[in-house]
Parts: sequence; C-alpha cells; structure tokens
Amino acid sequence: MKRVVTTAATFAAAVLLVVGCTPGSNSDTGSSDSKAFEFWSFSAINQKLEVDAYEKKHPDVDVKLTEVGSTTETAQALTTALAGGKVPDLVLIQGDDLPKFMQSPENFVDLSTLGADKIKGDYLEWVMKQSVTADGEIIGIPTDVGGMAVAYRTDLFKAAGLPTDREQVSKLWPTWDALTEVGKQYVKATGKPFIDNTPTSIFFQAVNQGSERYYDADRKLSYDKNPQVKAAFDLTLKVHAAGIAAKQTSFSSGWTAGMTKGDFAVMSAPAWMLNAIRTNAPKTEGKWDIATVPGGSGNWGGSYLAIPKRAKNAKAAWDYIAEMQAPEGQLANFLTKGNLPTTPSVYTDPRLVERTDPFFSNAPVGKIYTQSVVGIKPFYIGPNDATIGTELLNTLTSVEQGKVAPDKAWDTALANVKNALRG
Amino acid sequence: MLRPTAAAKATAEPTRQRRIQQGFRERLAPYAYVAPFFVLFLIFGLFPLLFTFYVSLFDWDPIGERTYVGLDNFAELAHDPRFWGALRNTFSIWVLSTVPQLLLALGMAHVLNHARLRAATLFRMSVLVPYVTSVAATTIVFAQLFDRDYGMLNWFIGLLGFEHIDFTASVFGSHIMIAVMVAWRWTGYNTLLYLASLQSVSRELYEAAAVDGASGWKQFRHITIPSLRPIIVFTVVTSTIGGLQIFTEPLLANPVGGLTCGAARQCQTLTLFLYEQGFGRFHFGYGAAVGVALFVMVVIVSAINYLLVTRIRSERP
Repeated sequence: MKRVVTTAATFAAAVLLVVGCTPGSNSDTGSSDSKAFEFWSFSAINQKLEVDAYEKKHPDVDVKLTEVGSTTETAQALTTALAGGKVPDLVLIQGDDLPKFMQSPENFVDLSTLGADKIKGDYLEWVMKQSVTADGEIIGIPTDVGGMAVAYRTDLFKAAGLPTDREQVSKLWPTWDALTEVGKQYVKATGKPFIDNTPTSIFFQAVNQGSERYYDADRKLSYDKNPQVKAAFDLTLKVHAAGIAAKQTSFSSGWTAGMTKGDFAVMSAPAWMLNAIRTNAPKTEGKWDIATVPGGSGNWGGSYLAIPKRAKNAKAAWDYIAEMQAPEGQLANFLTKGNLPTTPSVYTDPRLVERTDPFFSNAPVGKIYTQSVVGIKPFYIGPNDATIGTELLNTLTSVEQGKVAPDKAWDTALANVKNALRG
Repeated sequence: MLRPTAAAKATAEPTRQRRIQQGFRERLAPYAYVAPFFVLFLIFGLFPLLFTFYVSLFDWDPIGERTYVGLDNFAELAHDPRFWGALRNTFSIWVLSTVPQLLLALGMAHVLNHARLRAATLFRMSVLVPYVTSVAATTIVFAQLFDRDYGMLNWFIGLLGFEHIDFTASVFGSHIMIAVMVAWRWTGYNTLLYLASLQSVSRELYEAAAVDGASGWKQFRHITIPSLRPIIVFTVVTSTIGGLQIFTEPLLANPVGGLTCGAARQCQTLTLFLYEQGFGRFHFGYGAAVGVALFVMVVIVSAINYLLVTRIRSERP
C-alpha cells in the first residue's frame, strides 16, 4: 500500500515537473485568428512609440515587441533564429545587414504574396531595389532613410566667432576642404576639438556620397579600385592631419560624455542621429542647429521590415507593415520621431515641409533631409559591405589613435579587408 | 523436526532469487544515481563538442548552403594573422589575470585564516561580493573607469601630472584592463576555496612553528602552501580552462568596435574571434575550426599546468 502511494506521488510530481517546465503553450497556438505577433526591433530607437500607436488603433491586436539590441545584435539574433530556433513574425533589419539575408531569400516570406507588389511604387525606387531579389521576390519594405546633414552647436560657434545662422553656416562649407578650414579656425579660436571624430563623421559620410561604393554597377567587388573610396579615405587622413577631431569613437561612452559636455562642436547627423543626440545629451536642448552637409546630398542608413518564412502569424505582421509603412504611416512616424520617410509622395506634404525641431533651434528638419536625398545617385549595397566598411573604419580609427602611420594606412586597410573577406 | 521438503524448498527458492535481484539492483543503484548528470552531459556537453568537430570540416552558412571542405578551414586558420593575434591576446590576458589573482587569493586566504582576525565573517563574505555581481554590468562600469578622456583612472593619472593613457587603443593597456576585470571578479572566489582548505590545517602546526621561531613568511611557505597543494592544483587547472576562454569582458569592454575589441583587435580573445566568425560573419565552419583549435590548446595547457603544479612537495610533518 505504502509502495503504491509512493509511486503515485512520484508519478504526480514528475508530471507536474514536465508540465511546469514546458514553455507556455499559449504563445505556440498562434493561429491565424489570434491577432498577436512577435516583433523584433533594435533598441534605442523608441520603437515602442509606434507599436503603442498601432495597438491603440487596433485594440484586439497584441504586439509582442522585443528590443534585441544594436542593429548588429539584432541581425545576429535573427541569424540564430533562422538557423533553427523560434523566429519572430516581424523583424527590423538595417540596410547594411540586409544584403547578407538577401543571399538566402528562402528564409523570408515573399511579401508580394501578401500584397507588397501593389504598394511597391509608393517607395523610393533605389531604396526598394535593395530588398527585391533578382527573381522579383520582395523581401523587405523600407521604413526610413537617413539622409545627411551636419549638426553643430550654436553656442560654441558663437564663442569661437563663427556665424550661427544655419544658412550662413551651410555656406561656410560647400566642400569637405572648406569644413576642414572652418575646423582649423575653430580650434585656433577655442583650443578645443571641432568635430567628434574623422572615421565616422568624415569617412562614412564622404564614402556614402559617391555613385558607387564597395561594389560596382555589375555588383562586383570594387572597394580597392573605386577612386571614390580612395578619395574619401585620403580626405579622412587629411582632416586627421589637420588635428581638429576629438577622437571620440561614435556611440562610445566617451562620445556621449563629450556630447553632453560640449567637447566638440560638430558631428554627422543623418535623420536618425537626431534622436541619438536628444537621448544622449538632453541638457543640450536648444543649443544645436542643423546645416547642410558638404557636397549637398547623400544617404546614410535606413532599415527594412521583413517577415521570416516560419513566422506563425505572417498575416498580422503584414497588416502592421501595410498600415505603419504606408505613406501616411511613415509621415506620422516622421512627425513623432523624425525618421525620414522612404515614400516620396509625402515629401511635399505641408506637415513635413513645415516641420521644425525645437531641440535643434527650430531647424526645418523635413526640408533639410528631403533635400539631401533628392539629388542622390544610388549605389548598390552588396553582401560584404558591412565587413568592408567596418575594416576601413577600424583602420582609420587606428590612425586616429596613432597606432597606424597615415602613409601606410591605405595598404593596411586593403590588407585588413582582404583578410576579413577570406574564409 | 521433519518439515515437508517441498515447502522448505519453496520458501528457500524465492529468497535466493530475491537476493540475486536485490544484489543486482544494489550494484546498479550507484550508476542510476550518477546517470542523470551523464545523460545531461552527453546531450549538452559531448554532443555539441563532437558536432563542432563535424561543423569545422564544412563551409557552413547557418541560413544558407553548406559544403564539405575537409581540413581547409584549419589550413586557412594557420595563415590567418587574426587567429595568431587572438592567440597572443588570449595567452597574455590569461597570464595577466590568473597569476596575480591566484597569488593574491593565496595571500588573502592566509590572512583571513588568522586566529585573531576581527570581524572575520564580514571580510570573508565581502570578498565574495564581486563574484555575485553581473558580468555585463561590471564590465561596462570598468570600461568607463578606463575611458581615455572621462574615466576616473585617467583623471587620477592626470592629477599626478601624466598624460592620459588610451587603454583600449594599446595592446598591453587593453590586456591590463581586461585582466583587472577578471581578477576583480575571481580573486574572492579563489580566496574562499583556499580558506576552506586551510581550515582543515591544524592550528597546532602554526603554533608549533611560531614557538620554533618561524616568521609569518616561513609559516606561509612551509605550512600553508604544501597543505593547500590539492586545492592549488584545482584552482590552477580551472583558472586555466576559464582564463583561456575569456569572452564576456572583451565583448562588452569595447561595444562600439563591433566584435573586434579594439580597432586593431587589441583585446580580441580566441572565443571572441570564434563568436565574430560564427555569428558576426555567418562562417560557422571557420568559427568551429577556431573552437577546435581552442579546445586542443586548453587541453594541452591544462595538462602542462597540472604536471607543473603537482610537483609542489607536500611536506606533511
């Protein structure tokens, strides 16, 4: 009798243990009538704002937002999930990470089967091209582009005897060389650094302004032969030699500290950077303004929304994309967060054109950024772009840190890229 | 007294059978008790290890194609300057973190074991606090302490009149930074291990030595260390295995530089290089090859360490 009781108790305990340890079955039953879906996004871009707005309009939909981390971390998590784990229903992929995923399009739902081909025309052609395969499958819908501009501190410019009005400041630097001269003037007047760093603020901007980047028009690797890349590289070395940089690597803790303390006056500012400045240096509100970038136009950044093939609730995810990334949706996003839409139809909308940002001395952000993307000659972004860009950036950072001699820098950079691309 | 033999036999047989069964169960019981661990180890330890060996023979894209390449990954690894750089970094960080850490732990254990130490429990508890903190959080805080322009350490260096040191930019500087993070975390843990072992050493030995005129240092050398030999062997082997695989600190110390820990891979350890290749560049095969190389290295170094340390003479009077 005692034996029966003991056995029964052990059995019951084992069953309880198994049931308790099984992951909640509620989330696994995601049938298509349930309106819940899982959304992976980068952190620090306040994605929650849009998700909350969507849930408010559709109270029956439950969006499970996970802010995974940086753009790279999100791409890594997505890779692991696609390789054999639990995939989200909707995922945000940064433009530089997209080409690698485009090489294996079978991992994603062809959005034209859900209706993307009808809305394809709403988006900038050169942005849309990046997320369409050679067979015409639409893998991602673009959410925003970066555009290009330069953010500067009006109070520090005044102290250095430089003009503070954004029209006048934009006239100060029609070329990168002119910007360097202004920088030298500033350093002479104040003794403090002018620009945050050269690798990101000079090289990444300049190299993104060309008609070709690391791949040529035939989609072949050309980073070593493309004169535009070498020109951007040499320009960076020149600016470094002028000694006007604070040498704070972008997005590092020293960079955010320097931003708050005003240890540099100028930095690169694609549309999404404005949010970074707002979040990292809230006390500097009203002390910034935005001027045009030397060269006038260019694009840096931009992301896409995609749906993995094994998503449980692709329909609900698509409904979100169709609504939030429609021209009206992207305009609403611009008005709340400042991300530049990829739908040119709203570029002439008075709400966008007249939009000003009090944090940046009421700069007309809508006008400035749309103007910067209007004259663009788009280039092809290939699968190894992120790697090549990182190696070039790292070499230039090493130069800035004094670890690599400037005259050996280009050869070192080429060797590093070659190393990184093998294997 | 005459009993029917059949009945006697009937009671004797089941007893013998039951005894055999019981004997069998008794012999089986210990294996049954350790089985759960070995089953888990088989699934989560041995299988991934063997699978890594398997993957290293392929050009394996986690979400794309896989092609068999034999030992090509290893041939490439041998010619990859990034691998040799990571190897150098790993050894350097291991030595810089493990050696001071264990020596300090030994010294601290000796002190904490002192008979007349006041608030002994407080010291013993607080020495373990670094071990229970979150690795990620402390790495980020330490990285800020070592920052070139705004870190507290450089502020102090500036006060003394020297120029700020860029720790993340220099190879040796970044190794020191990582080593400090690791040593800060693990010294307390090793101290308590040594302390626990020391508690079993009879106090009379120390008293007798003191009576004979032995100084504190002599007591340390001739009583403490030989008594601690088994635990020293243990900590050296485990510190080696752990120290050669340091990953979290280099990953988070320089989050901006991607997965390279420094613009020129100044503090990229082998495990971080493995992670960069596997999850950063989607080259699982190449990453697995790094994993195999790391495994072989850890086994060899641990074996060497073990052989060296067991040569401490255990003087037990």
